[in-house]
Amino acid sequence: MRKSCYGVVVALAAVSFFVISSPLAAQEAAVPSAADSEAAESPAAESPAWIQAVDAFFAKYLVKPVAAVAFYPIPYYDFSAGAWRPSVDPATADLPENQQKLIGTQLPVVVVWLVAGATFFTFRMGFINIRGFWHAIRVVKGDYDDPEDEGEVSHFQALASALSATVGLGNIGGVAIAVGTGGPGALFWMLIAGVLGMSSKFVECTLAQSYRHVDPDGQVSGGPMRYLADGLREMGLGVLGTFLAVLFSVFCVMASFGGGCAFQVDQSLGAIKTQLTWLDDGHEYVYGLVMAAAVGVVIIGGIRRIAATAEKIVPLMCGLYILIALYILFANYDRIPWAFEEIIRTAFNADAAKGGVLGVLVIGFKRAAFSNEAGSGSAAIAHAAAKAEEPIREGAAAPLGPVIDTVIVCMMTGLVIVITQVYDPAKYPDLQEYVIGDKGAALTSKALELQVSWFPYLLSVAVVLFAYSTMISWSYYGERCATTLFGRRASLPYKMLFLVFVFLGSIVSAKNVLDFSDLMILTMAFPNVLGVALLSGKVRRDLDDYWRRYKAGEFKVHK
Amino acid sequence: MSWLPKQKVVIPVDFSDTSLAAISTAVEMAASPADVHVVHVLVPLEGLSPGVVWGEVNDESREKAVRKSFAEYTAENNLEGVQFIVQFGDPGFMITEYATDVGADLIVIPSHGYGGFKRLVLGSVAERVIRHADCAVLVLRRSDAE
Repeated sequence: MRKSCYGVVVALAAVSFFVISSPLAAQEAAVPSAADSEAAESPAAESPAWIQAVDAFFAKYLVKPVAAVAFYPIPYYDFSAGAWRPSVDPATADLPENQQKLIGTQLPVVVVWLVAGATFFTFRMGFINIRGFWHAIRVVKGDYDDPEDEGEVSHFQALASALSATVGLGNIGGVAIAVGTGGPGALFWMLIAGVLGMSSKFVECTLAQSYRHVDPDGQVSGGPMRYLADGLREMGLGVLGTFLAVLFSVFCVMASFGGGCAFQVDQSLGAIKTQLTWLDDGHEYVYGLVMAAAVGVVIIGGIRRIAATAEKIVPLMCGLYILIALYILFANYDRIPWAFEEIIRTAFNADAAKGGVLGVLVIGFKRAAFSNEAGSGSAAIAHAAAKAEEPIREGAAAPLGPVIDTVIVCMMTGLVIVITQVYDPAKYPDLQEYVIGDKGAALTSKALELQVSWFPYLLSVAVVLFAYSTMISWSYYGERCATTLFGRRASLPYKMLFLVFVFLGSIVSAKNVLDFSDLMILTMAFPNVLGVALLSGKVRRDLDDYWRRYKAGEFKVHK
Repeated sequence: MSWLPKQKVVIPVDFSDTSLAAISTAVEMAASPADVHVVHVLVPLEGLSPGVVWGEVNDESREKAVRKSFAEYTAENNLEGVQFIVQFGDPGFMITEYATDVGADLIVIPSHGYGGFKRLVLGSVAERVIRHADCAVLVLRRSDAE
């Protein structure tokens, strides 16, 4: 088994060498042609030629091939028209891609995959997301904490660590993008996705605990790369398990560079640029350098106190952010009924220009998945570290992640955006540039500014801290996956590459890098949801046994 | 090196089955189990795992955990009496330094016997120990070495 695992890794290393070397060669080839321009002579950070080259690289070698698979549009049945709707007009299907006419809404396969997974887990676990809610709160409160249990941290600490990775710019920028592009109705579908996502979190985090590995020195390692390989091997699907584990690890490393890094820098920069306008004129790289240095001292320099402080401040910042949002809602309480009406109305009766109901649904689900990462398996890496007597207990605590992330924080942002109407081109035509440019965090900042002039300053602080702690946490996820693939020696090269992406995030704000971020986090769901679905039978049996004992009051309460 | 029982045998373990099994070989070569110094080297913490961030995992907690793991192993395998030393740093360097400090007359080192690609990636602590040791080194090759 070990041999076959190594075999896959070697094969993958060979492939990645091949894949990476060819674009590099292409890029090098492109440089001499650009050498005529003076920009190429001095590779200055703000050189447009250089940025374009990086952007083109992302588009051609990363975004397009992955998007072709992950966002493959599925034809669907349009009930109002009473016909099957392929996304490409059949009359133009034979023409080259750039001449094809698009009709209807694209239904990306990865979104269908995530929704189907979350719905399946909700039914398979008998609505654990709803019936387990009170138990989850008790677990996180520490009612069952036994310091003698094996593991690194308490349930609360594990949840806080997982949240520091998920509560980020997806909650501030991502939501604004969702409302801007899909209308208020997207919020309704985000909420549904958050509630369904709780079940995905439950199953993946239970499995992470079941198949974790505790080193002799007490350090825990677990997550999809472990349960996919070991769990499926137990079921006699060893080859599939190894394949999925390797696939997951590769996607996770890429996602850590994208959504866990470049996206965070790009969006937080967008928000603070509205206050620090000096950064706007070609000085973006300064922010990138500062961020790279701040992340570098922690992940390479080993100054862990900063990371610890940042991670502990996140719950506080979360609270502050919610208070700001609540203040705005309170100040506009007369508009709240209208906002809810608008959200429900546009959720089911959406503007055809925004892609109809299905288009809104897709946007809502996509942004929710991007924000709470349910189904992508990332949080399972953090939850594996919790001290737990039984895996189900940590699994039961994990659904609070999507609750805090999506049901609370995302909805707060969303309501503020809807109530202030900054998304509406009719009311604020000048803010449409943020919507079109995917500058979600900047849009949220504007929404706050319309209410209280100094709120954007608070937001800037919160945004930078969210971005920072998210990057630190994601660097750990990526590092775990990189070392799973290539051994411990991959740790340092991985971290250096991570810092490069922190810097890149500040200067390359082009759309392709953001698409890449989106894609990688969502594509992690392909191997993860498949493996978790195959393993869900075992989780259900354990859950039933656990729940029976819980209802019978057999658990010792330590507090 | 004579064939007489050794006074001080240093044996590094990384808690792999191979390395733990080699402890009994070291005991056979020593005058008494107390002359066997089992050394475990903890490498510096790398990833920012939740335990590290929250300060629950640190060098102190790790040393406590490996001591507990080792005590469990010796109790199960009738190896009571062997000494257990925990060091922090680079394994190859710390093992030889410890052997020099205590004036060991033999280092017994189990080798995973990796070959080819794995050898390149995983490296070999044994190789570094052989290169830097001041005393005799006995390398135990696995029967199924590549």
